[in-house]
Amino acid sequence: MSTNTVDRQTQSAPPARRRGATLTQRQGRWGLLFAAPATIHIALWTGLPVVVSIILSFTNYDMLNPPEFSGIDNYVTLANDPVFWKALGNNFIMAVVGIPISMLISLALAVMLNQGLRGNSIFRTAVFLPHVTATVAIAMIWLWIYSPGGNGLLNIVLGFFGLPNQAFLASPSQALPSVILVTIWQGIGLKMMIYLASLQGIDQQLYEAADIDGASAVQKFFRITIPMLKPVTFFILVTSIVGNFQTFDLIYNLTNGGPANSTTVITYQIYQTAFQQFRMGLATAQSVVLLVVLVVLTIISRKVTGGKDD
Amino acid sequence: MTDTAFPGTIDAPVGTEQESARLKADRRQERRAKRASASKQRRISRFALTIFLIVVSVVMAMPFVWMFLTSVRSSPEIYSADMPLWPTEWHWENFTVALERAPFGIYARNSFIIAAVHTISNLVLGSMAGYALAKIRFRGASVLFGFILASMMIPFYAIVIPEFLMIRFVPFAGGNDLFGQGGTGWYDTWWALLIPALVSPFNIFLFRQFFISTPTELMEAARIDGASEARTFVQIMAPLIRPGMLTVALLAFEAGWNNFLWPLLVTSSTNLRTIQLGLSVFRQEAGTEFNLLMAGTTMAAVPMIVMFFFFQKQFVNGFVGSGIK
Repeated sequence: MSTNTVDRQTQSAPPARRRGATLTQRQGRWGLLFAAPATIHIALWTGLPVVVSIILSFTNYDMLNPPEFSGIDNYVTLANDPVFWKALGNNFIMAVVGIPISMLISLALAVMLNQGLRGNSIFRTAVFLPHVTATVAIAMIWLWIYSPGGNGLLNIVLGFFGLPNQAFLASPSQALPSVILVTIWQGIGLKMMIYLASLQGIDQQLYEAADIDGASAVQKFFRITIPMLKPVTFFILVTSIVGNFQTFDLIYNLTNGGPANSTTVITYQIYQTAFQQFRMGLATAQSVVLLVVLVVLTIISRKVTGGKDD
Repeated sequence: MTDTAFPGTIDAPVGTEQESARLKADRRQERRAKRASASKQRRISRFALTIFLIVVSVVMAMPFVWMFLTSVRSSPEIYSADMPLWPTEWHWENFTVALERAPFGIYARNSFIIAAVHTISNLVLGSMAGYALAKIRFRGASVLFGFILASMMIPFYAIVIPEFLMIRFVPFAGGNDLFGQGGTGWYDTWWALLIPALVSPFNIFLFRQFFISTPTELMEAARIDGASEARTFVQIMAPLIRPGMLTVALLAFEAGWNNFLWPLLVTSSTNLRTIQLGLSVFRQEAGTEFNLLMAGTTMAAVPMIVMFFFFQKQFVNGFVGSGIK
């Protein structure tokens, strides 16, 4: 902008050109003005923290004394910390078990919904509701459903079939599966709606052509529907993994990571290390690990989906 | 689709006219029967499908129903070994008892203020930035857009510690000196709850997408008519993306109302607790009194559920468009 002003003074361009320059110049200034507040805010509250996170991860810091440079000590500590590996492993199990199951269910439901039955919208509401509801509220509800006494809903159901009461969240072996069940229940709605939107986007002519060729419904499903849903399936997969690695509210309110760390996850470890033990350096190292995992995942997905964001 | 007979079937040549007529009638009858059985089959399968979907809906909605049914049970009932599925008596006073034990009214007010402020700030700041990125050519625009895209990738949990430290060490606030030492900064203040989430990169991105599909001619026409850039934006361009505005507003409101971790970290006084944090704290208070806890949970969950019923389509579009919560 300032160079333009200099240009005008030294070169004395013809009036027409000068006016054009000032117009784009004025526009450019407005563009910066419009974008500035949000940009400054994000630079301050997202950009700066990322830099600070990375720097602090190489220090020892307890908030009382100034940070002390400690090299890669924090990362070495993490590499040798069985609880941190347990947390990563739990995130991994939740992703590998929970996501495919909820994706399969949501795909099946979306295909059924796509038949255009009556009462469609009521059904959609029921399935989507868990997604809109606060996770804290959902954790409270399931805490009660999983109640290990005879008055928990699931134990009532088990009792109806003559099965013994289960401990669910209180049992180190059942807690993680119980948490996964909640994530499946909560996650179906959004995945189903994305699948439904993408099913409705499939060109009907493909099915008509297949009809003429005498294809069966099963053939049509596996030869047309499934291949056409491939990109959206990948999209759902990646966003679900990214979301899964950010599970916190549920763990905090449902299990506190227990019993015996059986349900702890990486975000819960960050919370504990930073805000219960005040080992900020170590906690930022954990958050940098999380950051790297998620950024790599996101970049891969953007590459694969062909930079649709742009 | 396949069950209706093909209309253009050509009859095979037959001997006499009578015979052909009879054959035709036979065939017609056969065809009709086939069609009837096929449509009957289809009706049955559609019926089965509907039943199945009803069962799924009931299973999906059951936790909410159970929450509500529990919230009106009497205390002896929830402790009894063989609790009836349907409450024997409806104790609406559980809600008043829960309200006496914890100030859910204050919690709800706080959450509403946060959600409302974040909705407005995201609408204003987000639409301005999105408009600039989509419609105005300026130096550094592409760098800026790359920056927004990169910020979208950053998970909140990766930056929560520095954000907390920034709140804690804000200079000249809460007894702090120039270097942020000596006091508590913005810790346990409204500033901490409101400032960091004023605008999210994702909403800027959404606004950019909305503005890209608006006609640039309108903008140019407004300019030629002598409207200022600010007026062009406020009076001509922004009204074009009203549906998009509603989507962002709902997403921002939902995020504000349902947020838990940040208020947990930066507040300590009861008066600043949000509804989800208040509910989480109330759980310790209520202990095993699940009827009271479920009454509190109902109060925390219902406003969002009601909003969802009103704006279902926009909600779904917003979430499906974003794909992320």
